[in-house]
Amino acid sequence: MGSRASTLLREEEIEEIKKETGFSHSQITRLYSRFTSLDKGENGTLSREDFQRIPELAINPLGDRIINAFFPEGEDQVNFRGFMRTLAHFRPIEDNEKNKDPTASEPLNSRNNKLRFAFRLYDLDRDDKISRDELLQVLRMMVGVNISDEQLGSIADRTIQEADQNGDNSISFNEFIKVLEKVDVEQKMSIRFLH
Amino acid sequence: SLGRTSTSSSEESDEESVAEMEAARLKEELEEKKKFIASLKSRPWRMNRKLKCLKDAQQFVEKFEGYLGKGKGQTLYILKVTMSKKWNKFNRAFKNIMTAFIPWEKRIKEVESHFGASVGSYFIFLRWLYGMNLMLFVLVFGLVVLPEVLLGAPYGTIPRKIVPNSEKDKAMDVAILLEFEGYFKYSPLFYGYYNNQRTVGFLHYRLPLAYFLVGIGTFVYSLIAVVRRYANNSEEREFAFSWILFTSWDFLIGNSEAADSKFAAIITNIKESIVDEEDKKRCENVHARRCLRVLANLITFLCLCGSGYLIYYVVKRSVVFAAMDKDKVTWMEKNELELVVSLLGVAVPPLFEGISEMEEFHPRVALKWQLWRILALFIANLYSLTFALYDEVPLKFEKENAIKNATMWAMKENYGNGTMLSNSSAVAQPALHPADVMQGPCWETGIGIEFMKLTVSNIELAYLTILFSDFLRALLVRYLNYCWCWDLEAGFPSYGEFDISGNVLTILFSQAVIWVGTFFSPGLLGVNMIRLVTSMYIQSWAVMCCNIPHSKPFRISSHFYKVLLFIMLCASIIPVLYAIMVFPPSFDCGPFSEKQKMYDIITETIEKDFSAFWVTFFSYALNPGVVVLVVILMVLVIYYLKIVSKSYQKTNADLRKKLRMRREEEKNQMNNKDSSNHIMKDLEELLPKKTVIQLSTKDKMGESLKLSPKNGTMANGADGRFRNAVTRPPGPRMVGHLPGMPRLQIVSPGSARGRGQVIRW
Repeated sequence: MGSRASTLLREEEIEEIKKETGFSHSQITRLYSRFTSLDKGENGTLSREDFQRIPELAINPLGDRIINAFFPEGEDQVNFRGFMRTLAHFRPIEDNEKNKDPTASEPLNSRNNKLRFAFRLYDLDRDDKISRDELLQVLRMMVGVNISDEQLGSIADRTIQEADQNGDNSISFNEFIKVLEKVDVEQKMSIRFLH
Repeated sequence: SLGRTSTSSSEESDEESVAEMEAARLKEELEEKKKFIASLKSRPWRMNRKLKCLKDAQQFVEKFEGYLGKGKGQTLYILKVTMSKKWNKFNRAFKNIMTAFIPWEKRIKEVESHFGASVGSYFIFLRWLYGMNLMLFVLVFGLVVLPEVLLGAPYGTIPRKIVPNSEKDKAMDVAILLEFEGYFKYSPLFYGYYNNQRTVGFLHYRLPLAYFLVGIGTFVYSLIAVVRRYANNSEEREFAFSWILFTSWDFLIGNSEAADSKFAAIITNIKESIVDEEDKKRCENVHARRCLRVLANLITFLCLCGSGYLIYYVVKRSVVFAAMDKDKVTWMEKNELELVVSLLGVAVPPLFEGISEMEEFHPRVALKWQLWRILALFIANLYSLTFALYDEVPLKFEKENAIKNATMWAMKENYGNGTMLSNSSAVAQPALHPADVMQGPCWETGIGIEFMKLTVSNIELAYLTILFSDFLRALLVRYLNYCWCWDLEAGFPSYGEFDISGNVLTILFSQAVIWVGTFFSPGLLGVNMIRLVTSMYIQSWAVMCCNIPHSKPFRISSHFYKVLLFIMLCASIIPVLYAIMVFPPSFDCGPFSEKQKMYDIITETIEKDFSAFWVTFFSYALNPGVVVLVVILMVLVIYYLKIVSKSYQKTNADLRKKLRMRREEEKNQMNNKDSSNHIMKDLEELLPKKTVIQLSTKDKMGESLKLSPKNGTMANGADGRFRNAVTRPPGPRMVGHLPGMPRLQIVSPGSARGRGQVIRW
């Protein structure tokens, strides 16, 4: 069954995760028990099948992409650190988050990072642009077979026309931010993790 | 369990060690800064820069050396850090506990996951109303009802608090009690029970003043609560398609059937947005349509007048019935008023829907018109009811006068006899048992009773509607389907959808009735509390058991409901104010008896309880001239603010238009095309054949969207303009079959979509 000892969570690990993600001690332990309950193979990592067992992800048209976002480039297993790193994007933003070290990088749950997470769901080839083809793929996932290709193409064109500002016929990250300017991303992309 | 290290014991040392770590880190930085200051002189920088850096470093050293240099300073610092961490922990634990107290959270989440956020928002609104009513209930109960019951004269001691002998033998009958007469009439539920003693009990609690202030206070509190939630919500059309693409999925959905409906809703949403775009570029100038719209509004107005008159007529009749002998009046005639008001609220809105077909508005605009009309209907009903009741009040005054004279005469007689017979100074009061005293017709209690009955009949009607139009219908469709000629589930009548707007307007109307009636009947709030709680349970059960998710995307934002609530609140203040200002209170019941006007209680309190200075101050301040001036000033301020805000909105719209034009121009320049309208031409082809706007649709597109009856139709049938497009639920998605999910993957076109899984007992 492998080394059981490696599946226990050590204090140093909790500290590191705390620093990296900003979760509190009790939140981390709680999420660890959730991680282990998802981990049916009991080898300390999650595979794609483990995620697909969650019903809300299974019926979500973007479910596969969200699951993909947990796994680092090219890998098939994600360990607890990676799991927490992705979940950290959904931590609510607190007003009084004192940043003791002003030179540290932006926290994982800032608005910018949340939007970047969402952007990466659509930008499959990681070229920092959402092209017309990628939009078509998303549309196809969302509407099934009810609408024909040409119609979907027109909708994609219309979307790019709305969002594109520099005329390169694709949506860059800055244009993406502009589109979602009026959307309350901080609240919609946050989960209230119990402490 | 796996992974649970020794958390509790290590937390204390954990925090201290962290504090120590931070102290150590600061120490390091301090050393660095000191070294930096020392070496500053030898750096090859400009003088300005050196001075600035020096200043910064010195400030840093000053700030932190105190913490680290001396021993006491260090412990203080660690103490501060530990305290703040403990406080954070306490805060978090508190917030956790508070979330556990939010009522019905699990229930609402379940509804949301099955039916989407829009139906869930109705229940959230219901819960918020419950919270507001709870506050009002506590206010009224604690400040008015409890003092009267605990500190005031107990039941049976004074005439207004006891059932008079003339009614006593029937006072316990169920029929009488259901009418809120008998023992209910002479209880703290209604206005008439309250005594007009200036102060009660050993606390010298000024009950009449409290009653008046609480009556006004309920409106003030409701105003504050409603306005606080009045968030601004502008309908943004700038990024319409981008938002549909990126933000339309409802992540709260956890159930596959709801997910399918959400798919269909998204498709319909996209098509509607395209129609919207077309709409914007089109100016309608068809005279016939204008005539039809004027006609529709005229008919609506006539309906409103008709219903108002009907209510007025029924009130007159109910007065006649009340005067007749109780045994000769049937149940129907006794409750005619409430039945008519409730039924009008149920029957007229579908009529308005029919009228709106004539107008041919865009669906969203039509829905808004519909809601405004229903709101006008409810307000008209409420007002005609209230003012019809008020019409009866002068009659009651006449009766009162007659009784007053009679009692005076009786007392004089007794008094006269008494003094003639006895020489002692003890002039005994006429030894009349309180139950024998003739009581006047307490008009406030009368109105309170009417509102109470109206509320109860509203509740009954609401539950009966749920029972018949949802539950029985679902039962019939489910079980009769086995032996019926056509498919009951797919065609008529099929399962019902949850009617959000109808339900919201019903609770708004009931809330308005409560606001008007609370002044005359403090017990009304208690009844309302019961109603809201049972409503939450019964409706959430009914929705899960008998309804199916919407097939059309629902466009009404909750902001709109808040606007309606606000208007209802303002509309319900007026009848109460009218009653307070115009009618003198009854002479023998209620906390304001024997006063000329109800608001005299204020002047009385000022005169007797405040010092002379305040008396003169108020007498100057309440001078009519001053009051009029203040009112004019406020009106001017409001007008000014309105103009300013309008100009801002106009500027906003102008800027937005300019931005859009500039972007299009830039793009045209870059792409060297004459205009980007070729995209619009493509979109025209998306429209189905039957639409409001007669466009030249290409046949190819039109056919693929036409409804083919052979395919499985959606359970709700194929009516409405945009349902044509959805011929069958989305088929297998691009992703392969997922493990663990028992959903049917392939839906063959021929099978009707069975909704058998919906009913859960």
